[in-house]
Amino acid sequence: MKKKFDRENIAYVVIFSFVTCAVFVAGLAAANEATAPKVRANREFANQAAVLDALGIGYSGPAEAASLYASAVRPIEGASPRAYVAERPDGRHYAVEVTGAGLWGAITIVAAAGESLERLDGIQIIAQNETPGLGGRIDEPWFKEQFRGERVAGGRIRISAGAEAGGSGANDPDDGLVDGVSGATRTSQAMELILAKAIARLAEVAGGGK
Amino acid sequence: MSAKPGKILMDNLWFNNPVLIQVLGICSTLAVTNNVRNTLVMTVGVSLATAFSGWTLSLMKDLIPRKVRMIVQVLVISFYVILIDILLRAYLPEASRQLGPYVGLIITNCIIMGRAEAFAAANRPLISFWDGLTSGLGYMAVLVAIALVREILGFGSVLGFRLMPEGFVPWTIMITAPSAFFLVAMVMWLARNLQARREAAAKAAKAAPKPAAGPSPAKA
Repeated sequence: MKKKFDRENIAYVVIFSFVTCAVFVAGLAAANEATAPKVRANREFANQAAVLDALGIGYSGPAEAASLYASAVRPIEGASPRAYVAERPDGRHYAVEVTGAGLWGAITIVAAAGESLERLDGIQIIAQNETPGLGGRIDEPWFKEQFRGERVAGGRIRISAGAEAGGSGANDPDDGLVDGVSGATRTSQAMELILAKAIARLAEVAGGGK
Repeated sequence: MSAKPGKILMDNLWFNNPVLIQVLGICSTLAVTNNVRNTLVMTVGVSLATAFSGWTLSLMKDLIPRKVRMIVQVLVISFYVILIDILLRAYLPEASRQLGPYVGLIITNCIIMGRAEAFAAANRPLISFWDGLTSGLGYMAVLVAIALVREILGFGSVLGFRLMPEGFVPWTIMITAPSAFFLVAMVMWLARNLQARREAAAKAAKAAPKPAAGPSPAKA
């Protein structure tokens, strides 16, 4: 009778573990490498789309977004965090990327405004980790649309806590006041601070700063 | 030791459901069930990870030394989960962004390792794949049912489509984790009651001292 192969032999255990790890890790590395260009393109598109959204430039798909972005938007060289300038029919507009503390983690937004900084063009949220269904609702259209053309009063836009009714939002663009998310007062306050930071950054970039 | 595919399906979906009867994978049940879309992506991920890791581990079972058995299981499971994460990032970037860290957490789902240890370690590759897939489907069925209730009451919508009338006030508690606790408990209570009733009926019909066919541990 053939002697049974000893699987508990220490040399076999070590070699087996080593080879198995190497094979599986190599598989993952290959998959990662193969999809890297696609992932980069996705990230690029998400960023470009956010800038176009903030500037209020409409597009219908990735291809159109890419061509619109290429023709209308120019990143400002050396600006950190990223900032963009766009030549529009009514003059020069700026878009800036700003990160601030939310309730659970960092919130990154893009905010855009014309050179005079009188009104915001709009905002778009790039990343947030707020509570789904509560603070996470800052990513819903009704919330973001409130900033479209909103007047900047005294370097800020106020967000009123607990004012939102049924997800409609404030629609007076002249009062420098938008509705916060009910039940997410802390996130709304965080957004107010991040917007103040964004407006200060827009002023800096519009003044020729990096 | 080999079981019939049909019986495995019924066991994993109902009589030995991983969530309802084995009470596995409860952590993710609480975390991802507040909207149906994320629940679907997450449970499809779990089903595929369980199926493929069961298949792979079953193929390898004669080579794996006992000493490093669990390490190899974790290695194979994380391999498939990271692969799913990479594919989501490349081909479904929106879903990947919304799910965030949850996809990586599939690795810690007890169902996958439970099936690897309890089934794939002693069965042939194809039937292990089937067992993993149906276990994932059993998990999916329960989670989607819970997610439906939570999304309808918490957001007033299903898969983003508004269901509830304009004046509906969303139940904030349905969005937060505590609601999953009592919903899971209610579904378990219902399922175990149904199973116990069936068992009792089968027993009465037979009127024999032999116990009924269902392997359910539920008490009458």
